[in-house]
Parts: sequence; C-alpha cells; structure tokens
Amino acid sequence: MEAGPAGPAARAAQRDAGPVLEARGLVREYGPVLAVDGIDVVLGEGEFLAVFGPNGAGKSSLLAMLGGALRPTRGSVRVRGTLLDAGDDGWRHRIGALSHQGFLYLQLTAEENLRFYGRLFGLRDLDERIPARLERVGLAARARTRVRELSHGMRQRLALARALLHDPDLVLLDEPYTGLDPSASAVLRDVLTELRDGRRTVVMVTHDLGSGLELATRVAIQVDGRFGWTGEASALSRAGFERFYHEVVEGRVGAEGSGAGGPEVPS
Amino acid sequence: MQVKGMRRAGAALAVLGLLGLMLVYWMSFFWVSTEATQGIVQRIFYVHVPAAWTSFLAFGLCALTSGMYLWLRDERLDRAALSAAEGGMVFATIMLTTGPLWGKIAWGTYWTWEPRLTLTLLLWFIFLGYFMVRGSTEDPGKGKRFAAVVAIVGALEIPFIHLSVIWFRSLHPQPVVVRPEGPTLPGDMFTTLMTSLGSFTVLFVGLFLLRYALEGLRSELDARARRAAA
Amino acid sequence: MSTYLTQVRAILWKDLLIELRTRERVLAMGAFAVLSAVLFDYSIDRALVAPQDVAAGLIWMTIVFGGLLGVGRTFHLEGEDGAFRGLLMSPTPKDAVFLAKTLANFTLLYVVSLLVLGVFMLFFDLELGTSPATLVLALALGSLGFVALGTLFAAVSSGTRLGETLLPILVFPLLVPMIVYGAGATARLLADRPVAEVAGHLRMLGAFALVAVAAGSVLFRFVVED
Repeated sequence: MEAGPAGPAARAAQRDAGPVLEARGLVREYGPVLAVDGIDVVLGEGEFLAVFGPNGAGKSSLLAMLGGALRPTRGSVRVRGTLLDAGDDGWRHRIGALSHQGFLYLQLTAEENLRFYGRLFGLRDLDERIPARLERVGLAARARTRVRELSHGMRQRLALARALLHDPDLVLLDEPYTGLDPSASAVLRDVLTELRDGRRTVVMVTHDLGSGLELATRVAIQVDGRFGWTGEASALSRAGFERFYHEVVEGRVGAEGSGAGGPEVPS
Repeated sequence: MQVKGMRRAGAALAVLGLLGLMLVYWMSFFWVSTEATQGIVQRIFYVHVPAAWTSFLAFGLCALTSGMYLWLRDERLDRAALSAAEGGMVFATIMLTTGPLWGKIAWGTYWTWEPRLTLTLLLWFIFLGYFMVRGSTEDPGKGKRFAAVVAIVGALEIPFIHLSVIWFRSLHPQPVVVRPEGPTLPGDMFTTLMTSLGSFTVLFVGLFLLRYALEGLRSELDARARRAAA
Repeated sequence: MSTYLTQVRAILWKDLLIELRTRERVLAMGAFAVLSAVLFDYSIDRALVAPQDVAAGLIWMTIVFGGLLGVGRTFHLEGEDGAFRGLLMSPTPKDAVFLAKTLANFTLLYVVSLLVLGVFMLFFDLELGTSPATLVLALALGSLGFVALGTLFAAVSSGTRLGETLLPILVFPLLVPMIVYGAGATARLLADRPVAEVAGHLRMLGAFALVAVAAGSVLFRFVVED
C-alpha cells in the first residue's frame, strides 16, 4: 500500500533526489503479538505525513522502526538510500525523534542537555547553535534551569530543540501535542510549519486531528497494524475527515484504497 | 533436517544411550574391579564424572549456538542453544547430586571444595541465570538475546573460574584424596569410564535432538496461531 | 576516532555530573561500606579468630555487595524521561556507550573501594603492608573487571521483570576469579609478603578485567537494541 500518489511539485523533487524515506513491507512481532502487519511508507522532501489511529494500532512501533530504534521483524527502511542497519550508525545523523517522553536528563540544565546531545552528534558550533535553538523555542531565559524544574510544556519545547539540534532530514514525532499548554502548542506548530516549508520530511503520529490536518501533506489512518486508508491532505476538510476517520477505524470503510478515494469534501 | 527425521534420530540415539548406560551400570557393578582405598562407593565415579563432562559439552554447545544466533539471527540456533542448556542443566544436576552422596560415604563429608565439583556448581548457576533471564522479559525476543549473552559471557569466564578454583584448592590441602578415582587408573576402570562417557554423550545428543525438534514444533504452532488470529 | 573519544567523554562526564548532583549512589555505597565494616566487626569473636586473618576476604565481599548496589542503578538515571532511548538513537556506537558507563561506574566503585579499605584498616587495626601501591593496583584491576560485568548485566536485568534482584545471580558465579585472586593478593600484601608473590594474582586480575571489558563492549549492543 503506497502512501498515495504525490503532487506534481513533490514528484519532481522525488525524481531528482530520490525518496528521503523508503520503508517497505514493515512487520513487527512481539512474540505472539503482531503489532505491525505490512506497511509501506515512501516520502520525499517537504512531505509531511500525519498518521492517525486508535491506541494499540501499532503507530508507535511503526514510528520506532522508521527511526531505527526498533528492528523490524520483516521489511526494510532506507533513509536517503541508506539501509537502517545496526552495522554503521552514520544514518543516525539524518533522523531526529520526539515522543511524549522528552529523552531529557532531569538533573541537567537545558543547556547541558543540548550540549550533551550536540557532542554525541559531533557538532562543532555548539556555542552559537545552542543559544539560537533555545531562542527559537522560547527557552533562552531557562538555559541554566534544571529540567526537573521545567513545566511539561517547557520540557517538550526543549525536547523539540534537542530533536532538531543536528538538522535532521527526517523528523519523527510521536504524539507531540499530548499535554501541551497553548504557548507550547503554538511553538510546536510554528516549528513544524517551518520544517515543512523548509522541505524537511516529517512523520507525525497524533490524536489531534486538527493540527495533523493543518500541517500534513499526506494522511494515513492506521488500524490493527495496517494503513486502513491513505491520501492527500489538501483534499480533506476537518469536519468531513473526522466522520470518515471514525468510519475507517470501526471498519465500515477502508478497503486497501489509496490516492484520491476518501471522504466527501462538503465545502 | 526434517522434524520427523530428527525425532526418529533423537529417539534412536537416546535409546542407544540408555542401552549404553545399562551396560555401564552392569560393568560398574559386576565387571570392573573395586578400588582399593574407597571400596564399593567409588563406582559412583563412572556416573559422576561423565555427567560433568556432558554438562560442560552441553554448555559449550549452548554458548557456541548462542554466539551464532546473535550474529545470524536464525531462530533455529536459539532453539539449539535452549535445548543444549536444558540437557546441560540436567546432567549438571546429576553430577551435583552424585558428588555429595559419594563424598559422604567415602570421606565423611557431603561437600568438598574439589575443583570439578565447585566448577560444576557454578556452571549450574550460570544455567539458572540463563533460564531466569530467558523467561523474565516482556518481549520473548529480548529474552532470547539476553540469555545468549549470559551463555557467551559464562563460556568466556569459565576458563578463569576453572584456573582460580584449582589454584585456590592447591593452597588449601583438603582432608580428602585429590584424585577421587584413586592414585592410578587401571585398564578395566579406564574402559568402564570411556564406555560411560560415550553413553552419556550419545544420550545427550539424542535428548538434544528430541528437544530441538519439540521446540521447532512449538514455534511452528505459535506461528500458525498468529496467522489464524490475524 | 576523535568523535568516538568525544562521545565517550560526553557520556562519562554526563554520568559523573549527574552523580555529583544527586549523590544518591555514592552515599548509598559509602554508607553501606562503613556499616558493613561495623557489622563484620561485631560478627567476629576475637577470642576465636584474629580479625586480621579474615580482613582481606571481608574487604572484597563488602566491595562486591556495595558495588552491586551502585552498578545495579546504572540505567535508572537514564530511565526517567526515556533518556536512554535518545542516547541509543544518536550516532554513538554502542560499545562507546558501554565503555563510558563502565568507566563511570569504575570511578564510583574505585573511590568506594578505597573507602572500604580505609574503614577496615581503621576498624580491624590493619597495617598497610608491603606495598600500598600494589594493593591499590589490585583493587583497581579487580574493580574494573567487576564493573564491566556488572554494567553489562545491569543492562540485562533492567530489561527484565525481576530487575536488580537478578543481578547477583548473573554476576556472582563469574566473580569467583576476582575474589580468589583479589582477596588472595590483598591478604598476602597485608601480611607483609613480598610483592613478587602476588605478581601472578595481578596478571590474572588484569586478564580477567580485559576479557570482561572486551566481552561487554562486543555484547552490549545485543542487549540494548530492540
């Protein structure tokens, strides 16, 4: 199940650069449990895929596999042509990830956290880069504050700065909006819009249909380890989509369709 | 190798091994001469020592297949490691129960810090760790990898443990005979020992094949159940 | 190569910094060391046994138990905000992560082991013996091997339902060489035996440490990957 035909501009970009992310036949088993049952994802530069779906659909496992944090039981993932393989870690420079956990050390300050990650990624210009990134997420005043003293919204903003510190080609977000206060949400939306307009590639798993639709270029609904439906985001309206989403999840719609087939666009 | 063929081979070898053991029992009770110092109880030696040897053979096989499993990720290698570990633990248990029995009757103490006995005891605990780790993870795949690591590290350390235990023993003379088989090993005792060694090994290989085949069937069953549920 | 060293240094520094700020492990291990010495002291009937005779063994056992306390928690500080996941997703090679964590644990344990030595010398009225330098070296080599195995198996046990309680079962059988040669060397040095007598011990401790660190470096990735 390909994730839908791309629009003309994106198609041109793909012809030139090759896909940023190419995942084929992803399957993940946890012993007797089948979490992901055959999913393909192919994305070029500037594409933003929003993945919706109920809990237990295997979305987090899918995202983890796309990011090389989880080994697929079957299938392969390539980022800019390089196979995600335990052997050589070079491809890890290309991927940035954010989940509802921040991957932060609570005992260290915001600045120390970023400096730590910066050194792991071999970045040289940390003295300039870190203040700039903290500024971008509105945490410049908190550089010296320990993470355990930051609110959840601030932690998520810091985590976002950490995920993007090394300017990855592929950004993976697992339910980033969860529990965010309005100012943090706004920062997140700003940064994500910037990513998309800057031709970075993003995959975001979210329950927030509104934000997802607003930012995405492509949409997928994952149910029981498969993509029940995929399509272009531009053709969808919020209201119509919400109804359609419930129908797909409850199994009334969603043969292995792709492309333009989808909800009616009322307005 | 096909499962059915393996089960037949395994059963055949196990039966052969048991027959060999029966021969060994006959030999050790009726044929071989009595050892001068210890008397009749020394005959336990013909079971005790080969059991230890087999448990170490099994562990070596377990560690080897574990290493290959981590490298190649073939589930069959993991099944082989599991089967070897089970067999190994059984034989180690036999050695550890016959040892104290022998010790009590021959020398008056249940436990001596004899190097082989100590080493086998530690091996038994490494096996224990192997199984505990295997069974205590949420994700079974992780458990298999953890267990493989336990087996490999254990195998790497066994030489050190062996050397240290022997060296330690050499400093502290025990009130028991250093060589439990007696000062020399005459011909008929050697024959009996070798026959026993051979029988135990054959028995182990037979049990190993049976267990391996069983585990293969079990994973096939799991795979079918998963497919049916999907 | 320099990236590798930078990464190892970064992780090592991070672990030590966190330990400096929380002090949870070093306090637990230090208190344990002193209190153990007290209990051991009371457990010896001086009419029957001279404390000096058993001191070496008790010192090493205290180091082992205290060490388990600290090493078992190695991966806890990573767990709070899922930070370990972030570390694993960085381009740091897994053996670099292992080496850094082992070195951090070693620093912690070595300091505690010197404390243990000092406390036992105080309570049990021991002399430094033939060569304090050799004694300190023996402690270092023993601690290194112990910590390497402990760090590897701490990663294993944190991934199981049983957690840290599994750690002694996995590690103790493998520590026999360390205890035999380490306590043996310590006993001899404390009893004023010549250094030449413990050369073999030190060689074995060194080889043990080498194998433990090498095995851990190679196998760590299989433990932490998913």
